[in-house]
Amino acid sequence: MSWRGLLRRRYWDNERAQEMEAHLAHEIEDNLGRGMSEEEARRRAYVKFGNPQKVRERIWQMNSFGWLETVLRDVRHSARSLRHNPAYTLLAIATLGLGIGANTAIFTVINGVLLRPLPYAEQDRVVHIDQVEKRTGSEPLGFSVQEFFDYRGQSRSFEQFSEYHSMLFTLLGTKNPERVVTGVVSANFFDVLGVKPVLGRLFVASDDSKDAPPVLVLSYAYWMKEFGGDRNVVGRVFQMNDRAHTVIGVLPPLPDYPDANEVYMPVSSCPFRMEPMMITNRDMRMVTGYARLKPGVTMQQASTELNAIRGRMVAAFPKSYAGWTGYSATLTPAKEELTHAARPTLLALLAASGLVLLLACANLANLALSRQIRRSKEVAIRMATGASAWRVVQQLTTEAAIVAVAGACVGLAITSVSIKLLVAYAARLTPLAQGVRLDGWVLLFGLGSSLVAGVLFATLPGLLAFRTRLTALQEAGDRAAGSERGSRIRTLLVMAQVAFSFVLLAAAGLMLHTVYNLLSVDPGFKLSHVLSMQINLNWTRYKDEGTLTNFYQQLLSRTDVLPGVQAASISWKPPLDPSGQGMTGHVLVDGQIASPTTPGVTVNYEVISPDYFRVLGVPVMAGRGFTDADTSKSQSVVLVSETMARHFWPGQSPIGHRLRSVNSKNWLTVIGIVGDVRQFGLDRAPDNLAYVPLNQSLIQNATLMVSTRGNPLAMTSQVEAIIHQIDPQQPVTQVRTLDQLRSQQLGTPRVTATLLGLFAAVALFITIVGISGTLALSVARRSKEIGIRMALGATRTHILSDVLRKGMGPVLAGMALGAAGALLATRGMAQLIFGLKPNDPPTFAEIGLLFFVAALVSCLVAGRRAMSVDPLVTLRTE
Amino acid sequence: MGKRDQTNNDMLKGTLDMMVLRTLILGDAHGHTIAKVIERSSDDLLEVEEGSLYPALHRLEERGWVTSYWGVSEANRKARFYRLAPAGKKQLRSEVGRWRQMAKAIDLVMGDLLKEGGEV
Repeated sequence: MSWRGLLRRRYWDNERAQEMEAHLAHEIEDNLGRGMSEEEARRRAYVKFGNPQKVRERIWQMNSFGWLETVLRDVRHSARSLRHNPAYTLLAIATLGLGIGANTAIFTVINGVLLRPLPYAEQDRVVHIDQVEKRTGSEPLGFSVQEFFDYRGQSRSFEQFSEYHSMLFTLLGTKNPERVVTGVVSANFFDVLGVKPVLGRLFVASDDSKDAPPVLVLSYAYWMKEFGGDRNVVGRVFQMNDRAHTVIGVLPPLPDYPDANEVYMPVSSCPFRMEPMMITNRDMRMVTGYARLKPGVTMQQASTELNAIRGRMVAAFPKSYAGWTGYSATLTPAKEELTHAARPTLLALLAASGLVLLLACANLANLALSRQIRRSKEVAIRMATGASAWRVVQQLTTEAAIVAVAGACVGLAITSVSIKLLVAYAARLTPLAQGVRLDGWVLLFGLGSSLVAGVLFATLPGLLAFRTRLTALQEAGDRAAGSERGSRIRTLLVMAQVAFSFVLLAAAGLMLHTVYNLLSVDPGFKLSHVLSMQINLNWTRYKDEGTLTNFYQQLLSRTDVLPGVQAASISWKPPLDPSGQGMTGHVLVDGQIASPTTPGVTVNYEVISPDYFRVLGVPVMAGRGFTDADTSKSQSVVLVSETMARHFWPGQSPIGHRLRSVNSKNWLTVIGIVGDVRQFGLDRAPDNLAYVPLNQSLIQNATLMVSTRGNPLAMTSQVEAIIHQIDPQQPVTQVRTLDQLRSQQLGTPRVTATLLGLFAAVALFITIVGISGTLALSVARRSKEIGIRMALGATRTHILSDVLRKGMGPVLAGMALGAAGALLATRGMAQLIFGLKPNDPPTFAEIGLLFFVAALVSCLVAGRRAMSVDPLVTLRTE
Repeated sequence: MGKRDQTNNDMLKGTLDMMVLRTLILGDAHGHTIAKVIERSSDDLLEVEEGSLYPALHRLEERGWVTSYWGVSEANRKARFYRLAPAGKKQLRSEVGRWRQMAKAIDLVMGDLLKEGGEV
């Protein structure tokens, strides 16, 4: 048996048939030669040869694969029988396709984000090292350079240990002066990650020495964007921080981790990091650490070692760490940092899509079961005429497999259509979203899950229906035996469907409520008609107070008088900035003895110009706001939010009290209270916020906010023109309205809600189809019974209530089960929802009602059909 | 399908290929001749079943041991002739070797009993 033979078997059959004919002719001739009569000669020849047809069959089989024959026959037969029943076929394929599509789409994202290895060599060994002080806050502290030296110098768990921070610098020498996100790293940073350059070289130890000529490594994305992938970029020289930097290499495509850095420079090139103060002062923290574990060293061992070093530091420098009881060094795998934000959402969606698939399977089982009941006669006849049970199962499996493959195709089509949206969605949660794409694993997943689901759930009911095989022949008409068992299974399946989709609907309901709550939450400031843009000043040009103050003053006074502008302000960040973080610091309050174990309480600072509250419409509740009279020469002042006032001075006015930063000697006097705002996120309770005046705390990276009368974006070019009048080299970035910032905040829950809602809608649809299908079949099968009952005097109301009871029974049971399941399942959503509890009673009630009504309507349809049964017609056909 | 002798027949199954190849050493032949030659040269002790012969020929051709062509038989009829291919010659040699060994082994085991006139 061979493929060649298979392809040419028709030819060979023909050849051998002719050959055997020739053989017989020879034999007949011989026999004639022996003196036999013509007839006898022919008879003898055939007797001797046997049956040529049988020989041909043998040769035909020699040229075929036996199983392939059977399979092909089954496929042909199945395709025919599916074609004859298009309603079943389409419904089954659509059901399975929807389930598979939802699952495969979510799997694609999970595959790209959670399953695919990072583009780092031996990714499990790459870790992020930082410190926290839990008594005062959970935000990572970072390291001072001295601390970093201690950890790196004393630890033995790591093969490589690199410091890291990211800053904005101005790069001169490209078409326009550009602010570039710059990763500032030890020379061995890329050995920590384990990456190789696509062009040129990466940093070596000598680049890190103090007098080394400054060098740059470009990220792949920046190389493509700015230089179009020009290979001659290596060796080009750019001005940065008043020094000439030479490009030495280009990185391969990597996720934006630790930050979306466009270029990298060695620590020795960063003017801030190299300030003597920064190097020697143990309390000035601006860097963090990345390291590669030595092979065989566990996270636990490394963490123990780091904390031993921390203990020695605390002992050696008691003043720096006074009262730091919650102080510890932390170790986090890079993979975890990259995925922890996405994991709960993705897993919730996977669970949801899994439920959709289960539901689809239940529906498929239901469809297959009713089809099997209708076909039990056919099967019985086939078995009575000699088909083995095994052959019949094979046949049914083939049919299921065809449906499954078709379903997989539909599902993969749905996936490929939705993939773009999903990548955009996942990008909000993780930098790894760029790696989300359809690959072999996705195809395998789609096809595999479809085959397993399809074959299992379309064949099992068939097997059950088998037990009816011979009795089916004795039964007349539709009343096939075994239907009792069949309908019990169907009832259970409907119950399961209702339960699954109830869970999904509850989850979707919670998410929709969350979006609504977020939309209606009052952020404490006005959102409309405010334009925000980022102005990161080149620190080499704006070094001293005079130039900085001058720039800001000119900018504000010129913007203020633009027609259509109501007010303009400078601050560090706009509210709802996507980074989700402000400037934090520990403060001490004058007159309040800090607890001996606490160095201070974490508050968020915002640096603002006087009109900030006018731009945002935040009320000054007591005291006064800042004015132009608050300068570096006058008394240092501070404004506090209501929450902060309540926290530090409960029951009294804070005005006139003083506070200072733990690291500073300078006391700030509270001069007023302003309204609470949700500065860092709509889902976050208002924080302790302290505002300091711009003129007393100058910043080089600033946000200009302009409140306008008309469409704020329409003002963009005029405001930019003003900035360029003052400084033609000044880049303007991140031009957004506050409304856009809010939409960005809402994006993730909105898409999660949309996806869950979509899944839930599919689930509801499938379930309603299941309920009405089951009921319709049961009414059709019972039409004789109904006819008899009507003839015996049952009223239509009786019949209707009977059908409704039969139909709604499993629905109600399923709803109860589903509600119980949802109570358990939605607990996992606690992180995703806002403004309500996972067991929110109104949501559950709404979903219950929605379900009840939908199910009732579909039952009424079947009930109507039952009522319209004409007893005369049904009795006559009996 | 005549079965003159059951034992004979079983032996035939394993050795039909070998005997067909042997026959073709004498020259190209078609199926009918091959069957007749084997029967004759075995003093009609062996009967070749056509039911096995044609599948065997098909198998031999598929393995590349023989080639075939349409020709005209001695009876002036169209017939498919088989010719021994070099690979078939090699195969025949190894089969003969195998057969010889087996015959020798059987000979040793059965000893005098196999000699003409040997009595049990």
